[in-house]
Amino acid sequence: MTELNKQQEQFQNPEPCLVKVQLFEGPLDLLLHLIKKNDLDIYDIPIAKITEQYIEYLEFMKVLNLQFAGEYLVIAAELSLIKSKMLLPKPVIEEEEEDPRAELVRRLIEYQVYKDAAADLVGRDVLGRDVFKREYIDNSFEQSEEVELIPVDLWSLIEAFREFYKRRSYLWAEEISYEAESMSIEDKIEQVIFRLQDRRQLRFEELFDDCSSKFDLVITFLALLELARTDNVDVVQDSPESPILITYSGEAESGSF
Amino acid sequence: MDLSDIKKAIESIIFISDQPVSVDKLSLAFPNVERAQLRKCLKELVEEWEALNRGFLLSEIAGGFQFRTDPRYSEDISNYNKKVRKFRLSRAALEVTAIIAYKQPVTKVEIEAIRGVDSSGVINVLMERRVIEIKGRKEVIGKPFLYGTTSEFLEVFGLKTLNDLPTLKELDEITQNLEPSITPVPENNESTL
Repeated sequence: MTELNKQQEQFQNPEPCLVKVQLFEGPLDLLLHLIKKNDLDIYDIPIAKITEQYIEYLEFMKVLNLQFAGEYLVIAAELSLIKSKMLLPKPVIEEEEEDPRAELVRRLIEYQVYKDAAADLVGRDVLGRDVFKREYIDNSFEQSEEVELIPVDLWSLIEAFREFYKRRSYLWAEEISYEAESMSIEDKIEQVIFRLQDRRQLRFEELFDDCSSKFDLVITFLALLELARTDNVDVVQDSPESPILITYSGEAESGSF
Repeated sequence: MDLSDIKKAIESIIFISDQPVSVDKLSLAFPNVERAQLRKCLKELVEEWEALNRGFLLSEIAGGFQFRTDPRYSEDISNYNKKVRKFRLSRAALEVTAIIAYKQPVTKVEIEAIRGVDSSGVINVLMERRVIEIKGRKEVIGKPFLYGTTSEFLEVFGLKTLNDLPTLKELDEITQNLEPSITPVPENNESTL
């Protein structure tokens, strides 16, 4: 965490840049993600562990200067409350006391039920994807060469960056002083746009090819988020397992930010 | 006009329609034909088209009948014309759709209580796509809108009626396994949203 804090501090000093990204999935989704990732029993969640990981995620988002919705803090507070309740010595049992986790578990499961229902819906033969009906169409074989790609959601993108960051950041285990860094987000955005205008499409990893420090990695990722937010790039992939692609969708001329 | 003629006429009507054709609508076109007869024709048409094993099928959708392509050829069709691929709903939009489909009529607050996150934007998108619509207002303070699914929803997900939705089995199990106080909407959570 000190590592992250250090970066956060360094990062916030020169030029604070807020990247506001709409989070498609909320705090419950994050919790379910953590439970699944750690292979935990939803009826017996180790609250201390999950709270720690949950807060770590929020910290990580803070490092990235991502604004997260207040709902995330509400659940963080609830988790802390449950944690403290579970630490309290149990009074002599007269009536069976309700597990302090019960309400949260109920909410998580209810949410999971609807997530599953959504998955069932999209698993059907969907009109406009799997089956088609008659309609007036006069644009057959138009110029577009687009392949059907699905947008990458923010969590997957952050997860991808986390993985990548872990793999890559060892290169600069001894961080050289940040003062040498002069590049701002705006500069980085210009740079990324320049590369995309050249190539049209980059793999997620390629985006970081010319990065020379951890700071550089983070600022490049922020530039990507900003470009995605302003609809200058599409972040897509063929399927959830395939490589994440960044495609340029903005004007041919580099836009002003 | 004998029955086989009527059947062919019905077939042609369905052929030119871009919306499911219901028995109600057909009975307007054939005022002298009994509805039972119309239904019989439709049933036979469905069976005949299925037996023919062609590239498209006659399907019962959203309370009516519609010719739809066989899902096996979706790729070939979209290779021919990419613009037919119109289905674009995010995971969030699908979640909200599922909640509305199963809990309708339902308010935004109730949806957000389940998802734990603001859902206004997603609801607007779904309204624009006509997957959901406003069904009325709930008689509580503020009279919030009640949302429900449309016949377009049934069309998109290939459902005859809402009863065609698979049951949420797990929810029943949860009700039994967990504390009995499982209410659809935890009212005390609304303020936190």
